[in-house]
Amino acid sequence: MNVFKPPGAFGGPTASETSKDIAGESARWMAETFDPARPGGPERKKFATDVGIAVDPLYTPAHLDRIGFDYLRDLGFPGEYPFTRGDRPGMNRTEPFVVSAYSGFGDAQACNRRFRKLIEIGTEQILVALDLPTQCGYDSDHEMATAEVGNVGVAIDTLADMELLFEGIPADSLKRIGTLGNSIGPIVLALYAALGEKQGIPWQRYTVNLQNDPLKEYIARGTQILPPQPAAKLAADAVAWCVEHAPNWSPMTVCVNHINAGGAGSSMGTAIALANARHYIELLLARGLSIDQVAPLLHMFPDERHDFFISIANLRALRRIWARMMKETYGAKSPEAMACRTTVYGHGQEALAEPLNNIPRTAFGTLAYVLGGASYVYLAGYDEAVSTPNENSARVALRTQQIIAHEHGFSDTIDPLGGSYYVETLTSQVESQILDGMAQVERAGGALAVIGNGFGRRVMSEGAVRRQRAIDSGERPWVTVNMWPQKPDVPNTAFRGDAQATERQLARLAQVKAGRDQARVQAALAEVDRASAEDRNVVPSVLDAVRAYASVGEIVDIWRRRFGSFVPSTDF
Amino acid sequence: MMAPSPRRKIRVLIAKVGLDGHDVGARVVARGLLDAGMEVIYTGLRRTTEDVARAAIEEDVDWIGVSILSGAHLTLLPKLRKLLDEGGANDIRIVAGGIVPQEDIPELRANGVAQVFLSGTSIAEIVDFLIRETAHA
Repeated sequence: MNVFKPPGAFGGPTASETSKDIAGESARWMAETFDPARPGGPERKKFATDVGIAVDPLYTPAHLDRIGFDYLRDLGFPGEYPFTRGDRPGMNRTEPFVVSAYSGFGDAQACNRRFRKLIEIGTEQILVALDLPTQCGYDSDHEMATAEVGNVGVAIDTLADMELLFEGIPADSLKRIGTLGNSIGPIVLALYAALGEKQGIPWQRYTVNLQNDPLKEYIARGTQILPPQPAAKLAADAVAWCVEHAPNWSPMTVCVNHINAGGAGSSMGTAIALANARHYIELLLARGLSIDQVAPLLHMFPDERHDFFISIANLRALRRIWARMMKETYGAKSPEAMACRTTVYGHGQEALAEPLNNIPRTAFGTLAYVLGGASYVYLAGYDEAVSTPNENSARVALRTQQIIAHEHGFSDTIDPLGGSYYVETLTSQVESQILDGMAQVERAGGALAVIGNGFGRRVMSEGAVRRQRAIDSGERPWVTVNMWPQKPDVPNTAFRGDAQATERQLARLAQVKAGRDQARVQAALAEVDRASAEDRNVVPSVLDAVRAYASVGEIVDIWRRRFGSFVPSTDF
Repeated sequence: MMAPSPRRKIRVLIAKVGLDGHDVGARVVARGLLDAGMEVIYTGLRRTTEDVARAAIEEDVDWIGVSILSGAHLTLLPKLRKLLDEGGANDIRIVAGGIVPQEDIPELRANGVAQVFLSGTSIAEIVDFLIRETAHA
């Protein structure tokens, strides 16, 4: 018995004849059955997504016809061009997504204890959250660090802090270790390289992942230090150094996350992030590196927090666009260069009121990423809107990932929503939006230009205002905010800066600065300045400075003097 | 025809102090106050309390709206109040917006912060408060 006889077989109708009938039948269903069933006509609300794509009441094969869906051209197979269905052949069947934690607070000593606890309960990758002074290139004893040391992450001033932070945690005992360090990329890279040396573990035996994406800071995240041009050059230095010395590392993760969250929306956010990626790639190609050497070291960090199915569509569209861009624009030959690896951070519409409700919100947000085929998965703590996650919320975040990975069969088959009329239609629509956004960024002058000429800021502000209005008007439903509203509350148990940790940090910094070989430090810093002036790759000189216990602030000060500081815009 | 109103518009300085780089909330509020007919100036990111106090006095504002999310509020807000008072600007009032634990709010109120609006507050609530509390409005 041949129950699953394909259409078109044995002289039956072809696929496109079938869907023409379906288009007619869909229109008939709409007119005869759906419309009459709506009392008074209008549906209960406008069904639109945050990116502006309207949602139809029902999707049928007629939608696939409308987008000109072609399975082999548009989807193909996992681990093969155009990688829509997955960047790896076996996806979660052979290599489950990496259960990851973003964590850091106080000083290295306090934070080390948290890391050990996270590893004990199953964390496979730790991305170190750095405090704002470190991210902005100020030592803990700088005036700008007042009241900020150890607040939103751990304070790292010198290699001594890294040694303490990873005491008893060998660099190769986790799948990846790393940090954001967007505006201090070469320094955090050097700190992780020197950490391996201190622990006696060769660079080939562990994997460092950095965000190291300064360009999005200017429009979306706010830790920028230098003007964009030298900042992008220093970030590219870190990638180029890895091509030569640690090609197994992933020294750059180009982010949609903050651009979307700040207002751009996930499609325009992806477009801007891809423009940023292109800027870094072109800097690297201009040094004589090939796309097949560079692209495999880059990751993307997609983001969509409002609409579950848009999120899935975004990851699938992103992989397809990346593959085509690498192959067609840059002439990549190797599959590794065309396969877009994705890091995601599960969020939802988290609210301050009744924070435990953020557990299902972030779980659904993360599930969408997993169904979309993410490779490295983080999940926000339910209290993250308030503060650095406490031990309990960090545990819940980790357990939620493990549940998604192992219970319910969410990832038993690859790309489970592939072929869905709805998801394929959205994937195609999101892809068009991203490509259109990339063309807009191009017309506005490209990645560097949109930082200075107001394009980026306008996209962000307009989007943020649009979202606020949708929330205030109730158009975007938000339980406990505009439906069953509750008073927002920040509990007294929210994580607080630890004055003793700050004291310990300041004491350690003073001790390190007093005890190091000053002549060696000064010589190393002078070499950082020379390399910066001569437009050489700064990483070798920064690595020597870090080995000599030069501080983050001392190295960044050289760049501030040489390249100047970025002046933030007062437009809103 | 109505005579032109002798009352001046409410002037507000929206400020980011310290290193916290998240300014979406600050900018959305700035736009909202502008739409409500107020005169609004934004400091941009990463200002010191000294920068903010100086700008507020130079611009002769009625209010400073400080956006703060990094947890440094108990240090920075009382310091800003002190700088304003020392500069003879005790008529300039401070409101704060962002993430502030409940138990810190009385302490901030006691140190010259007129109101704290937590993330999630509607623009309308902020506008109503500023209009109600401004002497000349």
